[in-house]
Amino acid sequence: MGRSTTSKDAQALFHSLHSAYASTPTNLKIIDLYVMFAVVTAVIQVVYMAIVGSFPFNSFLSGVLSCVGTAVLAVCLRIQVNKENKEFKDLPPERAFADFVLCNLVLHLVIMNFLG
Amino acid sequence: MTRNLGFLVVALVLVASLCEAKIFNPISDSHRSAALQLFSVSDGSFGSLEETYEALRTFEVLGIEKKADTRASTCATVVDTIGSPSSALKDLFQALRVNGILKCELNDEAFKGIMSRIKDAINDAHSLLDYYYSIGGLMLIKDQTSEVAVHLGDADRIFRSIKALSQGDGRWRFSSNNPESSTYAAGVALETLAGVVSLASSEIDHSLIATLKNDIVKLFDGIEKYDDGACYFDEKIIDAHMHQGSLSASSVVVHGLTAFVTAARGSLNLPGDKISGLAKFFLGIGVPGSAKDLYHQIVALACLENSRVSVPLILSLPATVLSVSRKDQLKVRVNTVLGSAAPPLSVKLVQIFSSGSKDASVIDQELKLDPESAVHVLETLPKNVDVGKYIFSFEILLHDPEHKKIYATGGRTTVPLYVTGVISVDHAEIAILDSDLGSVEIQKKLDLSGENAVALSANHLQKLRLSFQLTTPFGRTFKPHQAFLKLRHESGVEHIFVVGSSGKKFEIVLDFLGLVEKFFYLSGRYDIQLTVGDTVMENSFLQLLGYLELDLPDAPEKAARPPPQPVHPYSRYGPKAEITHIFRAPEKRPPRDLSFVFLGLVLLPFFGFVAGLFYLRANLRNLPKSTVPVTFAMLFHLGIAAVLLLYTFFWLKLDLFTTLKALGFLGMFLTFVGHRTLSHLASTSAKLKSA
Amino acid sequence: MAGRKFPTVLLLILNLLSFLPFLTISFSPDHPTDRRILVLLDDLALKSSHSIFFTSLQSRGFDLDFKLADDPSIAVKRYGQYLYDGLILFSPSTDRFGGSLDLEGVLDFVDSGHDLILAAETSASDLIRSVAAECGVDFDEDPSAMVIDHTGYAVSQIEGDHTLIAADDFVQSDVILGSTKIEAPVLFKGTGHSLNPDNSLVLKILSASSSAYSANPASKLSNPPLLTGSAISLVSVVQARNNARIIISGSLDLFSNRLFRSGVQKAGSSYKYEKSGNEQFVTELSKWVFHERGHLKAVNLKHNMVGGTDEPSMYRINDDLEFSVEIYEWTGSSWVPYVANDVQVQFYMMSPYVLKTLSTNEKGLYHTSFKVPDVYGVFQFKVEYQRLGYTGLSLSKQIPVRPFRHNEYERFITTAFPYYGASFSMMAGFFIFSIVYLYNK
Repeated sequence: MGRSTTSKDAQALFHSLHSAYASTPTNLKIIDLYVMFAVVTAVIQVVYMAIVGSFPFNSFLSGVLSCVGTAVLAVCLRIQVNKENKEFKDLPPERAFADFVLCNLVLHLVIMNFLG
Repeated sequence: MTRNLGFLVVALVLVASLCEAKIFNPISDSHRSAALQLFSVSDGSFGSLEETYEALRTFEVLGIEKKADTRASTCATVVDTIGSPSSALKDLFQALRVNGILKCELNDEAFKGIMSRIKDAINDAHSLLDYYYSIGGLMLIKDQTSEVAVHLGDADRIFRSIKALSQGDGRWRFSSNNPESSTYAAGVALETLAGVVSLASSEIDHSLIATLKNDIVKLFDGIEKYDDGACYFDEKIIDAHMHQGSLSASSVVVHGLTAFVTAARGSLNLPGDKISGLAKFFLGIGVPGSAKDLYHQIVALACLENSRVSVPLILSLPATVLSVSRKDQLKVRVNTVLGSAAPPLSVKLVQIFSSGSKDASVIDQELKLDPESAVHVLETLPKNVDVGKYIFSFEILLHDPEHKKIYATGGRTTVPLYVTGVISVDHAEIAILDSDLGSVEIQKKLDLSGENAVALSANHLQKLRLSFQLTTPFGRTFKPHQAFLKLRHESGVEHIFVVGSSGKKFEIVLDFLGLVEKFFYLSGRYDIQLTVGDTVMENSFLQLLGYLELDLPDAPEKAARPPPQPVHPYSRYGPKAEITHIFRAPEKRPPRDLSFVFLGLVLLPFFGFVAGLFYLRANLRNLPKSTVPVTFAMLFHLGIAAVLLLYTFFWLKLDLFTTLKALGFLGMFLTFVGHRTLSHLASTSAKLKSA
Repeated sequence: MAGRKFPTVLLLILNLLSFLPFLTISFSPDHPTDRRILVLLDDLALKSSHSIFFTSLQSRGFDLDFKLADDPSIAVKRYGQYLYDGLILFSPSTDRFGGSLDLEGVLDFVDSGHDLILAAETSASDLIRSVAAECGVDFDEDPSAMVIDHTGYAVSQIEGDHTLIAADDFVQSDVILGSTKIEAPVLFKGTGHSLNPDNSLVLKILSASSSAYSANPASKLSNPPLLTGSAISLVSVVQARNNARIIISGSLDLFSNRLFRSGVQKAGSSYKYEKSGNEQFVTELSKWVFHERGHLKAVNLKHNMVGGTDEPSMYRINDDLEFSVEIYEWTGSSWVPYVANDVQVQFYMMSPYVLKTLSTNEKGLYHTSFKVPDVYGVFQFKVEYQRLGYTGLSLSKQIPVRPFRHNEYERFITTAFPYYGASFSMMAGFFIFSIVYLYNK
């Protein structure tokens, strides 16, 4: 009884979340997808490291950090371009994107240097 | 003074052995071979004329055939020296001496020529050596040629001027302005004076000769004496380079003395024991190692042998170690110093001293002469002579009473003798005793002439007893000098005990209770070793008897540690064990396939991302429509792609500097096109909003 | 007096002139054999009674200067320079040396790398005993003690007290005693000594047999003698760390002509040798002590990378290197290649990381190769060669070892492929994202 209620509640919650998310603008969804992509890649690497050990550690670090860095930068971009975020109302999204590109380029340079 | 004392002590150690008496052997073949070795010929001569003379004279005395190959070159030197008007007086003298032996062909003219030179030299002479060389030269000329008359007109004056150099104690000075007196000079002076006497045309004043004889007696009063009866003249001036030691001084004195006695034809009362003492001194040197010493020794002995003073006889024993078991006979040989036969005489064994005890047994037994070998033999040892150390005392009895004036026998000759024999070892046994009761736990008989291997065990409350008995062939108890019991622990620690004698028996009892401290509380296996030895024991032995398993209490904390055993020297050296470095193991690598699988897995989200874009129906509708912005947009993305491509190359092979340089250019380009593109987009969206 | 002065001055000048050639060819690292030897005697008669020994030295080119031990003109040093390369002390009874020489002087002489032969006797003086003691040798305290051996004595018709010992227990060392085996026993008559166990440099050359003991032959024994058995050393040598060499003999007679020439028959053996082993023994020993043998030098210590020829200033961990050193032995007149199979090199930092035996080409060159350990720091190549009788070699050369440089590590490791893949996939993702995000509408 309780269980079905819970699952129903959960279904309801999920449904409401889904419908709420459906209203999110596409460009934010793209960012979310991008973040997901980075996080999954990072998780796979961590699993791999758990299996084979930490050698070569620098490669592992750069591999994971490139994912994490990408995800963090993408999240930053999402925060800045979200129109509901009043804090960044005055910041044009193009400017945010330029920052994002610049940061990514620097991140990848560091990653390449450290990849070994 | 210390030097002389030092000399004395060493000479004593060297010449005299530890015994108070010593045997002197006459000159033998070893001297002859040594002479041939020492006087070596190089380039056809013996070296200088002086060395040549010494060599030739030594060979002459020892009866070695002169080597003909040196004669020609030596004679040439002699003729040169004598013929040359510039040669020194000393060289003339030496040349004449050599000529005296070699008999080179010299004409009388040469003799006459040098004679006048020598006579001039005598008148100018100041030092003793000047006189010696010139008088000696004249003597030699007189001996070598009968054609030239050699006489000294003013012999008395010369005699007096030489005599003026003599000192009160019988020694002489070399010259009047040299205050040091020397024994060597005394010998030289005596020989010179002998020359003066025999060259004198008229008789020398008798009183002069009498005072000289007095001087000789004084010189002999100052003679030094060793414990073994050897006498020598000490020389105060010792020069390391000239090496005028006691040997040369004594030799020269003997030479001068005999020359003087011959020349003066007078009798001289010198004690016979001093003459034979001198002979003993020269013989005691053995075989000298230097040519000069050999010459001095041989010449002095030759003078003694032919002297008119008295001829020493030397009593020698071929063997002083006599074995009872081999039935060795006591043999005595009597010779003159140079090893030639003695006149008819008999040898008497007078006394036997047993070493260690003061009392002497008087024997008075005459030795039997074996006429073939000229050896006096004592066929059987006296009854009371058992194995042991003895001192035998002999006397020489000359048969002809006339000979007593000619020969010096040196009184009694004492000789240390070792009579050795086989000692029988009996009643040897080893036992372990109980400490409290004294009862015998284990007892084992030992055969000390054979092999033994006993195995014993004891603890600290027990005792070890070892006993044996030693008897001489004559049935008397024998006490050896060395009777040691040695216990050696496995670790190398040794303990030595002297086995003492009680009555007839040798016995040692080791009470381990009192010895635990000394044994450092070391339990374990001890090897037992018995050493019995003595100088007169022919069957001295060192025997391993077996071993003893000792059980001692544990060491208390304060107990002394056993001394460290010396490290074996070979183990200290030698190569060390090799060392190789152990390298860090390489990291474990997973199988390649797994890596490839995960490479695929890692790339999957990328495809998921692309697929997700399609799912979200992402489009590129926002792309600018007009040509210029599109170009800029294209360039912008191409720029990003170029930067990423540059990163890939950086990863593959480029270094950081090249990369950063390229990145600088690309960055500037990118900033430019990025700005254009983004500002275009921004203006588009602003237009859209405002619209 | 004035007349005598002139020749003295002349003599002095002549002396100095005659000294000049010796000054130039005296002991030096390139020419290690001694040249000038001071012989101190108790009595000049020793010069003749031990002449075979002295003559053999002189014939080998040594310049012997004989002096009485108490000669006041003895000086081994002038203006800080040593006048002699070697010292022979045949003066067992000397209580004080003459001139400026004393115990300190003798020890300083040895400490500065010079050689010494010391012969004692029964009742040796305290001075001689203390010189020996400083060298790690203790003579029997009883001055009248002699070494007696009732089973190992030399059979003699005239000496029955068993103090003339036929010793044949030699040290096994070709370098000290020569390569020719000494067949005949060595005759020894004198006092025994023991080695100080704390001194690791002193070495027994001739030991007494196990039945020997050291005691006064004339008195009865009540206590066990201090020295017994093969612990008694008859002749010992010392090689100091500065390569100074010392012979200490308890017998002066050992060097004498009488025992050189004497035949020898050991008790219990029926064979009689015509000549004792003394001459060979002493001659070989004197060759050793005066550095005519067993003096090594090591030169050209070199190392390089395998395949290279130049000596690098540092190595990287795990490098393969080659090491070589040349070792020569002095024969008294020239340096010849030293051949041995036990020369070792250490690669050393605090402790040896690599210790390897070198192989030789039999021409003096020793070489090996090994891998540098994977530990970085300042290392040393060390050759420590200490062999019985030979002079010690101790060489070292410092060399730093560095770790891998950043670009020397292994790259493109298969294990890291997923990480590479992830990084590049991120880059590709960024590129696509930047296009799609920017132009999505």
